[in-house]
Amino acid sequence: MASTAPFASPDQARRRNRRVGLIGLAVALAMLGMGFAAVPLYRIFCQVTGYGGTTQRVDAATAGAVKAIAHPISIRFDANVERGMPWQFKPLQTTHTIAIGQRDMALFYAKNTSDKVIVGTASFNVEPEQAAPYFNKIQCFCFTSQTLQPGEAVKMPVLYYVDPAILKDKDNKDVEQITLSYTFHVTEIRDPAPGAKTLDRGGVER
Amino acid sequence: MISGQTVRCAPRAAWACLSSIALFIAAPALAQEAAGYTPMKPTPGVGMPVDGGLTFQHQYSPLGEYALKIYNWALMPIITVICLFVLALLIWVVVRYNHRANPVASKTSHNTTIEIVWTVLPVLILVAIAFPSIDLIAKQYKPAPKEALTIKVTGNQWFWTYGYPDNGDFEVVSMMLNVPGQPEVNPGTREVGTKPWDGPSHLEVDNRLVVPAGEPIRLQITAADVIHSFAVPSLWFKLDAVPGRINEKVLFVEKPGVYYGQCSELCGAKHGFMPIALEALPRDKYDQWVLTHPGGVIDGKDAAEAAAAPAATPAVATVPVDSPLAASTGAAE
Amino acid sequence: MATTADHFHGNAADHGHDHAHDHPGFFARWFMSTNHKDIGTMYLIFAIFAGIIGGAFSGMMRAELAEPGIQYLDTFAKWFGATNPDFTTTLHTWNVLITAHGLIMVFFMVMPAMIGGFGNWFVPIMIGAPDMAFPRMNNISFWLTVAGFISLMCSAFVPGGTGLGAGTGWTVYAPLSTYGSPGMAVDFGIFALHLAGAGSIMGAINFITTIFNMRAPGMTLHKMPLFVWSVLVTAFLLLLSLPVLAAAITMLLTDRNFGTTFFDPAGGGDPVLYQHLFWFFGHPEVYIMILPGFGIISQIISTFSKKPVFGYLGMAYAMVAIGVVGFIVWAHHMYSTGLSVDVKMYFTAATMIIAVPTGVKIFSWIATMWGGSLEFKSPLVWAIGFIFLFTVGGVTGVVLANGGIDDALHDTYYVVAHFHYVLSLGAVTALFAGFYYWFPKMSGRMHSEFLANLHFAIFFVGVNMIFFPMHFLGADGMPRRIPDYPEAYTYWNHFATVGYMVMAASLVVWLANIVYAFVAGRQAEDNYWGEGATTLEWTLSSPPPFHQFETLPVIAETAHP
Repeated sequence: MASTAPFASPDQARRRNRRVGLIGLAVALAMLGMGFAAVPLYRIFCQVTGYGGTTQRVDAATAGAVKAIAHPISIRFDANVERGMPWQFKPLQTTHTIAIGQRDMALFYAKNTSDKVIVGTASFNVEPEQAAPYFNKIQCFCFTSQTLQPGEAVKMPVLYYVDPAILKDKDNKDVEQITLSYTFHVTEIRDPAPGAKTLDRGGVER
Repeated sequence: MISGQTVRCAPRAAWACLSSIALFIAAPALAQEAAGYTPMKPTPGVGMPVDGGLTFQHQYSPLGEYALKIYNWALMPIITVICLFVLALLIWVVVRYNHRANPVASKTSHNTTIEIVWTVLPVLILVAIAFPSIDLIAKQYKPAPKEALTIKVTGNQWFWTYGYPDNGDFEVVSMMLNVPGQPEVNPGTREVGTKPWDGPSHLEVDNRLVVPAGEPIRLQITAADVIHSFAVPSLWFKLDAVPGRINEKVLFVEKPGVYYGQCSELCGAKHGFMPIALEALPRDKYDQWVLTHPGGVIDGKDAAEAAAAPAATPAVATVPVDSPLAASTGAAE
Repeated sequence: MATTADHFHGNAADHGHDHAHDHPGFFARWFMSTNHKDIGTMYLIFAIFAGIIGGAFSGMMRAELAEPGIQYLDTFAKWFGATNPDFTTTLHTWNVLITAHGLIMVFFMVMPAMIGGFGNWFVPIMIGAPDMAFPRMNNISFWLTVAGFISLMCSAFVPGGTGLGAGTGWTVYAPLSTYGSPGMAVDFGIFALHLAGAGSIMGAINFITTIFNMRAPGMTLHKMPLFVWSVLVTAFLLLLSLPVLAAAITMLLTDRNFGTTFFDPAGGGDPVLYQHLFWFFGHPEVYIMILPGFGIISQIISTFSKKPVFGYLGMAYAMVAIGVVGFIVWAHHMYSTGLSVDVKMYFTAATMIIAVPTGVKIFSWIATMWGGSLEFKSPLVWAIGFIFLFTVGGVTGVVLANGGIDDALHDTYYVVAHFHYVLSLGAVTALFAGFYYWFPKMSGRMHSEFLANLHFAIFFVGVNMIFFPMHFLGADGMPRRIPDYPEAYTYWNHFATVGYMVMAASLVVWLANIVYAFVAGRQAEDNYWGEGATTLEWTLSSPPPFHQFETLPVIAETAHP
């Protein structure tokens, strides 16, 4: 396309224009596709790199192969609900000090304070962000949605460990405490099934 | 952030339904001094904008001082010199090469040497700026030590709530004070200037974010509805409050005082009316303040257990965490 | 530069052609137009119209900000149709004003004027083409832009959550723009962006095809005038960035209306992802607005220095470099969102790189004038003003590029000052420079040079009074997008409002100048700027014939001086 042929016939010119125009259209459509593809790509990117504080998910077998080492790290637990969601949601411990590589279970308490059945889903992240690739969850209430009947209260476990590889990462050399944060969001609200007894398994559970 | 994209059923209906039963209680503005704590009177010109100010507010955090130093001693001189240099060149060109002074134009259109110079020289200047700039970012991102006090900031339309998980997990609701002669911003709160410790209008709140001075604080910031941004100019601090996640950054206030800021991300109608008033106290005063709150504990001890503690009169200005577990959530190990 | 008119065997016969053709009737000519010059004229008139509305909105904002307290917003709320607005509704009106001002100025003033107006008018002429490659698509582009504008105007009168109209800011951040703004207003706003975006993408394809395929014989890429280069780079930026915006706002639309959760944490979405997508578009967008201005300034400086542009290739490839680097710096708009440390450092470094090609352009313009024989006609006066104002806007950009410094400045008036120096004082100054440069060519009537220079003098004082104090306000901590402020900010806000009135007065001079030209202006010659004006448009009559270059001009091989 460096130079124009001097005396193109109108037909040739039209054909050439159409070709460049269609290439342009294809580029625009490709970028449009890229825009939409960014959503899954961003999610995969976050999961792989821990970007945005995205924690890692491992199965029990992988976790079983990890050896704890005598190097303590403090884990803090944080819980939020989106505005207006009628749930109480609290960590049952503010912090835990664990050995790196050691498996630990933290408990969260959630109670539905409304008279509706509420399905909630938790979003989560860890801070400082650079610790995320080493924060492994084996089991978590955040993997699926949670349904609480009116008045129902539950304790929800998180089973996790911190990968010993964190000690080799320069970016993490100053990290002494990692915060694991959850925010519950309403996924669905429905009326309780007729005749269903209002549950109150809540009370003070510890 | 969460694995799996779930599609919500009738999300808007849910939102509307839940908003109506929102559990937020606007804290009535009651005098807090009854509970052994008197809000500090701000010093004019400290921690707040100054009338007709020309430059940055005085900084009260080490990183703020460092950043301001970079601005004052590197960035500002460099950009001023560049602007004056360009201006001087323009004036010279206008004077020397106008058609009366120079009737015949030269035909010079290349000079490789000068083109290399004006490419390489800016690169060198930028590299020189980059060193302190990158160093500043590295320092700003240094995480807080394990034992640092953690305070939780939540942005809401249109107020802030401050949680103290290490001090018994009580929560403070902070709303802008109404401005005399203007429509009520927050019905139920008092007007600014009705208490001796009130700072400037549009910046003062009913319940301040109280923090200890002289120690690193792990500030964790989130939002309950839309994105907000927590900003305090005199501490060189700004971090967005994003719903569904926390952001964390170290706050260090060098000395006691009151420092003001405003929400810095457009968050709806009253975006301009959710200021931040941060009161830094010496550690012992901070502890006293904590113990004025129901459920407030210092190192796991509440007011009754702490020997020299003042009477734990419930301060109405705070919202106790309505949880059966509040008492059992201890401070950091 | 290569394209001196001496090299063209310009076709004198063209001049006579015009009158021999049957002119279409009024409706057919202006509503179904396929003529690049008519469409360019329509774009310019549309941009002036939209600019007056967008400028009026900024006047309403400056009026409200003149004093602390809320003085006029409830009146404005009533103008938009609110009856007895409560305080929240009143404040919502503020957000509608800032949103509309931003969107109008970006999508319906600067872009239509730069690309649609001057681009349409002069790109085909400068490369010796009879028209654009796809004349009918050109027409569709224009009317889509108009439809987009109408959609945006409609949004101001329908519910947008806490009041009438879309109050999300021009960035339309989720979740304020999704569950934070129920009502149809934001949907109308998004639809407006879709329409304007589709129009611009079509325009971009049209320009790329025209520039690649329809250059006159001998007009190689490296002989094209820099204005054509600037439009070519701009067209590529549009083609690559606008579809990403289209995708992002489509996802906003489905999040709002169809229960998807692309940007809603409740369903696993991330609001920060929207910002990444928006700014992947938004940063190239600022170059889309300013690059054609660079091109205009290059033509003007060369013309009135009576010299070819200094370092032609460097100038062309500096624009390409700015365009390329513009795609990899977007997150510097997001320094406070909680980026990780490495990401913030990368974007700091990458952003500062842009200063290098921009510096090349500034210095090359000065070098073009160096040794020249400067003729101080109004376009050159405006162009010199541009260089200085753009430099001021550019260096504050270097300050803001530093992620650590930006912690204090992000979302403050310092940022407002910065982007108005590069856009309001940069792009708009370039537009006025281009206007005075080409107005007689387009209309056939000479404007008054005295009024043009007076316009510049008042405008220069006014805009600096508005925007320079905003650096002070921002450094002192004043957040942007607030209708009311602590008393400490009163002095400079009041000052800026006075500046607005000065600036507004200059626009009266400008409009008077247009009226003067049509009423009493003398007939413009073919080349009214004289020996320095060497590009192809100066070989044509003023105004050019309805169809130009029916016999293509041939550009001589002897090129580079």
